[in-house]
Amino acid sequence: MRIAAALQDRFIRWALRVRPPEPAPVILTQRRVYVLPTRAGIGYAASLLVMLLGAMNYNLSLGYALTFLLAGLGVIAILHTFRNLAHLSLAPGRVEPVFAGDSARFTLLLHNARADERRQVQLRLAGGMSGIVDVPAHSSAAARLAVPALARGWLALPRVTLDTVWPLGLIRAWAYAVPDMRCLVYPRPTGTAVPPPPTFGGRAGNAARNPQGSEDFLALRGHQLADPPRHVAWKTAARLGADAPLMTKQYADPAAQTVWLAWDVLPTAMPVEERLSWLTRWVLDAHAAGLSWGLRLPGSQLAPAGGEAHLHACLRRLALHGKE
Amino acid sequence: MAKSKSQAITAMQTWWLLAAALSALLPLTPHVPLWLSALALTLLAGRALLNWTNRRLPARGWLILLTFAGSAGVLAQFKTLFGQNPGVALLVLFLALKPLEARTRRDGLAVIFLCYFLVLAQFFFAQSMATAGLMLATIVAVTAALGSLADARARPADLLRRSSLMLLQAVPFMLLLFVLFPRVQGPLWGLPRDAFSALTGLSDSMAPGSISNLSQSDAIAFRAKFGAKVGDTPPRDQLYWRGPVLSEFDGRTWTSERRLPLPRLAYAPQGPAIDYEVTLEAHAKPWLFALELPGQLPPDSLMTGDYQLLAKTPVTARLRYTVASHTAMTAGLDESAGVLRRALALPGDFNPRTSELANGWREKLKTDEAVLDAATRFFLTQGLRYSLTPPLLGQHSVDEFLFDSREGFCEHFAGAFVFALRAAGLPARVVTGYQGGEINPFDGYFTVRQYDAHAWAEVWLKDRGWTRIDPTALSVPSRISQNLAAAVPAGSNVPLMARLDLTLLRELRLRFDAVANTWNQWVIGYNPERQREFLNRLGMRTPDWRQMTATLAVLAGLVLLGLTAWALRQRRRTDAAQRVWLKLGRRLGRRGLPRASWEGPLAYAARIAARFPESATEIRAISALYGRLRYGSLDPVLLDELKTRVTRFQP
Amino acid sequence: MLSPSIRKPLEHVVRATGTVILGKEGQIRLALACLLARGHLLIEDLPGVGKTTLAHALAQLLGLSFQRIQFTSDMLPADILGVSVFDRDSGAFRFHPGPVFTHVVLADEVNRATPKTQSALLEAMEERQVTAEGLTRPLPEPFFVIATQNPSTQIGTYPLPESQLDRFLMRIELGYPDRAAERDLLAGVDRREILAGLQPCLAPEELLAHQKSVRAVQVSEALIDYIQALIAQTREAPDWQAGLSPRAALALLAASRAWAWLEGRDHVLPDDVQTVLPGVACHRLHPAGESIARLSPAEVAARLIEAVPIP
Repeated sequence: MRIAAALQDRFIRWALRVRPPEPAPVILTQRRVYVLPTRAGIGYAASLLVMLLGAMNYNLSLGYALTFLLAGLGVIAILHTFRNLAHLSLAPGRVEPVFAGDSARFTLLLHNARADERRQVQLRLAGGMSGIVDVPAHSSAAARLAVPALARGWLALPRVTLDTVWPLGLIRAWAYAVPDMRCLVYPRPTGTAVPPPPTFGGRAGNAARNPQGSEDFLALRGHQLADPPRHVAWKTAARLGADAPLMTKQYADPAAQTVWLAWDVLPTAMPVEERLSWLTRWVLDAHAAGLSWGLRLPGSQLAPAGGEAHLHACLRRLALHGKE
Repeated sequence: MAKSKSQAITAMQTWWLLAAALSALLPLTPHVPLWLSALALTLLAGRALLNWTNRRLPARGWLILLTFAGSAGVLAQFKTLFGQNPGVALLVLFLALKPLEARTRRDGLAVIFLCYFLVLAQFFFAQSMATAGLMLATIVAVTAALGSLADARARPADLLRRSSLMLLQAVPFMLLLFVLFPRVQGPLWGLPRDAFSALTGLSDSMAPGSISNLSQSDAIAFRAKFGAKVGDTPPRDQLYWRGPVLSEFDGRTWTSERRLPLPRLAYAPQGPAIDYEVTLEAHAKPWLFALELPGQLPPDSLMTGDYQLLAKTPVTARLRYTVASHTAMTAGLDESAGVLRRALALPGDFNPRTSELANGWREKLKTDEAVLDAATRFFLTQGLRYSLTPPLLGQHSVDEFLFDSREGFCEHFAGAFVFALRAAGLPARVVTGYQGGEINPFDGYFTVRQYDAHAWAEVWLKDRGWTRIDPTALSVPSRISQNLAAAVPAGSNVPLMARLDLTLLRELRLRFDAVANTWNQWVIGYNPERQREFLNRLGMRTPDWRQMTATLAVLAGLVLLGLTAWALRQRRRTDAAQRVWLKLGRRLGRRGLPRASWEGPLAYAARIAARFPESATEIRAISALYGRLRYGSLDPVLLDELKTRVTRFQP
Repeated sequence: MLSPSIRKPLEHVVRATGTVILGKEGQIRLALACLLARGHLLIEDLPGVGKTTLAHALAQLLGLSFQRIQFTSDMLPADILGVSVFDRDSGAFRFHPGPVFTHVVLADEVNRATPKTQSALLEAMEERQVTAEGLTRPLPEPFFVIATQNPSTQIGTYPLPESQLDRFLMRIELGYPDRAAERDLLAGVDRREILAGLQPCLAPEELLAHQKSVRAVQVSEALIDYIQALIAQTREAPDWQAGLSPRAALALLAASRAWAWLEGRDHVLPDDVQTVLPGVACHRLHPAGESIARLSPAEVAARLIEAVPIP
């Protein structure tokens, strides 16, 4: 069994021809597509042999014709199955980053430049994960392959086997491809019950709101001559009548809360991966709370900011810590 | 790398399997016992109901029970489980039962293979063009079902289209293999005894009514092909196709003598010969037919002492042989005394009136010839009528025919004549066979049908040997000069093809016959000899299996190559203007300025203009023109202009 | 082919604007195409490269009314749309139309205002009407907003969110003038004087008619295939976080039509699509991965174009 596996491995390496990973798009040229009968195909051939013997014994001319027609069908099936895979082009599609422990979802784009649909193309990974797609004529179809993301950092797409037994199931055509694709795996965030990050530097208290802001309505106060006319509460003035004093609307900016999430604040004894897990959790929590945060790692830091883009920048930094 | 566990089949796939099974079973229903057809259809309907209501399949125990019960039924019907008919019946039973336990793709494949086997089984019973057409439809359906097993989501129309396309592409291979695959003459092992049980033809006995039964059938007995020249066909009154010779009479039935046939002629042929080829339909009896009298034995045949041609084995498949006949020759001058004695034997106490008449001739007349003349004259003047439906006759059948009813069919005439001659002391015997036939103007084949069956007499004269006398021709000349329909009274129930009035219908039928004959000659009858003959004609001088296989491999390879080229061709949607533009791109590509796939017409033109400044104006105009044709509206005049300008553009 | 006489005034507009903004003919044409396609324009660049001048010159040459709104952080929606003021004499509210009620609005430094104020302007752009105090007031036709934005790296800005960016048909960058143009600029007459001397060469109704004829420019099946292929590429390729929306596809088609019309063609070529693609697509696409994020819009567009063969 070991020898068989080794031989298969050698065959695949020879069959790929290109040193993986291959640049996009990967085109499955005819030299890369292999064809062999399936078990059903062998059964079909055996049936034909029996039919041929029957036709010979009974001198059934139409029996010969039937056997030969079905034999021709078998040959044609080879062509159709081969054609279903040959010249299919394979391009990497989108890969969203995932957290370690989840499944990385690789999207492969299969492009069919031919005027006939390619049906039932199966994509399989070494781990046994598979998906079946139909690729319409002059069009593309996306195949999604899930690979368990075990460790943070870059996860490359393993070798993909594309195979098909369409249209009759008698013949199997297959090809190997290793498209240049990788998925960014963020560190796995540690459990939710973690203490909040110790904050220091530039964190403003809740009370310290800037009353001269312009964003949120805060209160009404007596009108002063210097107040801009558009801050006058005209509706109130109208309700209260002409004699009432004018009122001015007061606005405040939301308090900008900034935290620093730093490598150093975690115990020195904590292993690297665990530290990264903690930091990841903190980054996620800070984002969920709508805070502005900065990230400080040994040798690099990201200035405080908020939002999706910053979140992903931080997670990326954590994922690739010590790996680039 | 096959998966260890086969996939479960879907409801749609089950429908396909049922359709395939039905299309394979239905054409077989006339050929299997009625109860089996009913059982099979019920089982399929039951499976369809389970599929429809989405219910579970029956337990295995039930299926085993049904299998045993069905097999027992087949055993009871045929008394055996081996042989052709019980075999087909068992296959039908299995195909009806298998869908009831079809859960996985592998079971589905078993159903498909069974269907293909049953298509083959259909050819045991018929190999006509109609059967072939019907079976082709079945094959398309079964192949579509096979496709559905590989592609559960495909639409039925797509599956049928795909299966038709693939079968169409398989046809060249089929033709090549059919023509060139080295044929062997079966059977490879013993055929079961029940094969070919339902065939009609002449038998080796003749009683009143036995040949008139045959005259109701317009099935073809055999076809003959004479030489291409008109004069090669002998005149109608010489077209006596000799079959079983009957020389023993028990008062009612004439039977043939059981004597050992020998592999050589029983006489020395003489006189001019006519060459022709006979394609004999299977009739499950050993006799071969040839014009009187054959000048040589066809391969694998024997001849009896009474000049009857026999095949070594019963003719159970269409048989083709060439013969040369000497229509005007004398045989049997030196006939042995034993034979002559047997040709005089009569049972006592039958037909006293005829015996008396014959004795009268014998006593009055001196020579055998004179007796024969008297008998002939008697038949001419007795007012005998020809009828397809003669009255039933009693114990003295010859007497009743000659003196009372005076109405009969050829077996009455021949039987009575021979009886009379024997009673008068002349050795005579009844010869059965076919008389006449009809030339098909569309392929020149001479067609002899069952209604051409005939019986005549042969009398031995000292200086003329065995001489043919046709008593029917004496009384009813039109039977010989025209055919059956002309001889019988109007309103008789004559087979369609024998009637002379339905011209159009006859012509259509003749046309169809010609096609069917071609089919029989070249498709059904394509055996080792025909293969050798055909390949000879194609220029292969000594076709042996090695040569055939090599040719087959080369030609099949060529076909495969062509189909591969088709398979790998990338059909792109291009319009006329775009083709011209792409051509320009390819041409300039050879000069180091290829068009990038993403490059728009203006951008490409700008690049060309930069490289060839002197052609800048022209290429800009061309690209503007192309843009208008491709992305504006396609004006044929402008398209021609684009073509000429692109052709002329040689920077 | 379109008759050249129709486009002549517009050619004049391009040339005359070119006398004010030196060496930027491409951008001027794009701006004009944007206007003809009834879209709004976002110019993102450093202060002082001529954004205001461009807007002003276009308005003046096309004979359109012009308003400039300088966005600040304390600006409120009412400052743009207008406000109902209580008239003590009549005892009723009276609507004071804001600066948005004009043909050409130059929304300067739009990312300095708060999101609330930004969205007020953008809603007006999209709906071409203003709803205040329960009354809907239509904006004049043609209505064209040129918004300018400082690069987001500058401090004190509220970058426009994606959904708002999508409302701009195009985003262009002016960039520094090249050396020769800058020399002409330094040596030549004061821009403000030339600007004041520009004469309108088109009536607003004529511009509306042109906008209408732009919509009649022919688009073939092959071209629609091409646009679809481009859009599909942005959705499928790993270069971008999210693909272009159907609205972006429509915008691309409209802009291509306007460009083809400006070029004097009655049909759209793939070249037209490729020309307007950086302006139309780049502000709607978000590069995935740092390598692409560092590319300029033109390079990003080139990457997209070169990945899609022309059908």
